[in-house]
Amino acid sequence: MVDSGDVLIVGAGASGAAVAWRLASAGIGVLCLEQGDWVDARSYPHWQADWELHRAANWSPEPNVRRLAQDYPINDTGSPIAPLMYNAVGGSTIHWSAHFPRFRPSDFRVRSLDDVADDWPIDYATLEPYFDLNDRMMGVAGVVGDPAYPPKSPRQTPPIPLDTLGATIARGFDRLGWHWWPSDSAILTRDYDGRRACINCGPCDLGCPTGAKASTDVTYWPKALALGARLETRARVREITLGPDGLADGVLYHDRDGRLRERKARAVVLAANGIGTPRLLLNSRSSRFPHGLGNREGLVGRHLMFHPYAMVRGEFAEPLGGHRGPIGCAIVGQEFYETDRSRGFVRGYSFQVARGLSPISSANGGLNGDRVPWGRGHRHAYDQRFDRTLTVAIIGEDLPEAHNRVDLDPELADAHGIPAPRVTYTLSENSRRMLAHGVDRAREVLEAAGARAVAVNPLLRAGGWHLMGTARMGTDPRRSVIDPEGRCHDVPNLYVVDGSVMPTCGGVNPTSTIQAVALYIADGMIRRRA
Amino acid sequence: MSVAGRRDLLAAVLDVLIPAEAGFPAAGAIVLDHVLSRAAASTELDALLAGVLRAVAEAARGGDFSALAVDEREAVLREVERAHPDAFDALVGHTYAGYYSRPDVVTRLGLTPGPVHPRGHRIAPAELPDLTRVTSRGPLYRRA
Repeated sequence: MVDSGDVLIVGAGASGAAVAWRLASAGIGVLCLEQGDWVDARSYPHWQADWELHRAANWSPEPNVRRLAQDYPINDTGSPIAPLMYNAVGGSTIHWSAHFPRFRPSDFRVRSLDDVADDWPIDYATLEPYFDLNDRMMGVAGVVGDPAYPPKSPRQTPPIPLDTLGATIARGFDRLGWHWWPSDSAILTRDYDGRRACINCGPCDLGCPTGAKASTDVTYWPKALALGARLETRARVREITLGPDGLADGVLYHDRDGRLRERKARAVVLAANGIGTPRLLLNSRSSRFPHGLGNREGLVGRHLMFHPYAMVRGEFAEPLGGHRGPIGCAIVGQEFYETDRSRGFVRGYSFQVARGLSPISSANGGLNGDRVPWGRGHRHAYDQRFDRTLTVAIIGEDLPEAHNRVDLDPELADAHGIPAPRVTYTLSENSRRMLAHGVDRAREVLEAAGARAVAVNPLLRAGGWHLMGTARMGTDPRRSVIDPEGRCHDVPNLYVVDGSVMPTCGGVNPTSTIQAVALYIADGMIRRRA
Repeated sequence: MSVAGRRDLLAAVLDVLIPAEAGFPAAGAIVLDHVLSRAAASTELDALLAGVLRAVAEAARGGDFSALAVDEREAVLREVERAHPDAFDALVGHTYAGYYSRPDVVTRLGLTPGPVHPRGHRIAPAELPDLTRVTSRGPLYRRA
């Protein structure tokens, strides 16, 4: 069937949903194709007694572990960090922890300020109204006044309660005189915009049956659909097609029955994440673009950035109640965020304080992976750990390097025979030094808070939550894939709006910034149409 | 190894991994079916488990593993762990998962077993700690 929607979006996650809503609100016809399906709130593991068992199985954030029908395989054997994602309406916001910091002003000016990588062609001030708009759409719990940022608009609900765990680590930060602040979290602490408040059940990483966590299936999509946007699920796009004028004219995709179909469109928007988007571009070969669409300069898939994570877990003498409340959200610390070359590295990192470990995770070491010893003494060792730990995650700014990349695996393919992505990534010396510095400082703050023992994971393998940089934005077509308006330099009606566009990645979780950029690009589309 | 023999040996191994201590039950009787069901659902895990049990039987040097003294059983398993680290680690991981998802074990930990939703958890409302110390430092970001 040949159809002609106005704008066709590939991917219904964080950025695709935002663009669909924004365009629909301007009266532009939108069709979104999503390879996953809607997630029924009744299907989340939280409703089952064995909910925690699902974390390592069908609710794993790793598609290579989960292996659901809507997933595609990723060859990540060439990377010390495994890419994580979820394929559904809502995308990876289904399983994210909803920690929601923004990039800081300096994050957009790393070349000018620190003589590394590239400046963004847009800045914080340009994005500020889109940060605010996105906050209203997602619903953010937090408290204004954080001196690490320019003043922000009021948060939609009060912050996530710190509880015993948060108050404990806050004392450590205070004793050292370091910056900390209650996290901005895209999780409602009070009813807001037709959604219910969080009930503090804990495992946000397995989805949110309450709807308090801002996955875009409960934030943007209901509003976008009400405005007339259309969404087809279990629709896996195979390639972007070109018309005789060299412009994108639609896509070929497999529908839920596996049939190959064609959709025509006036413009195509890619929102398939930092791995899915370059994969699709590289799979879209033609006589005009024999090496993949938009890849005339060989840049598509290059400059992959992850945010390397180190995890430092402190063990305390008293119960911390860490099983209560949103798993990833308590406190952010940015004492070491801006460049200080005396530390031995450039740029910086954030601390994210996560809550404690649930029963199985306590035994198996959680993200540290250090299992409680087996045999006699297991009980004592387990009791020392359970409900007595908190984790300080170090999230380092990853600088873009051309050799870190996504390309197509020569053998691996998905269920439709579409070549699968291959990830090749090496941790830079700058990142190693940054993480080592962060581990030492995390140890310091935990000990200042009273930790009696500390365990370190110097590089988290299952930590590729943030997929960025693989179709970078810039003004120079020889050094970037898309222009400052989100348009592919080579194909001006082909847009990219996900984390792929980021020239640099800051030292904080990127979703807030990804969505703000997506809304900014959508407004440009609306202006040009007008 | 017969099916019954496999079950008996696995149960004995699980009892060593998590012995009965401080009022908590040993893993053998209560985790056996969990581990076997996981192995039945994964040919990869089934092969790993078979390899571990074969190695345990060999390391027991023809003797009855379950009849050995506790020290000897632990020594056998440490020998198997050294020789087959990945397979043994997988067994330990599944044993812990099965054990700490049991309602009776979760109850002993002081938690309420069962679904976490819609029950949730109550967090007592509390004032935020004083943030004056943090704010008094003034802007910490670079203007750009």
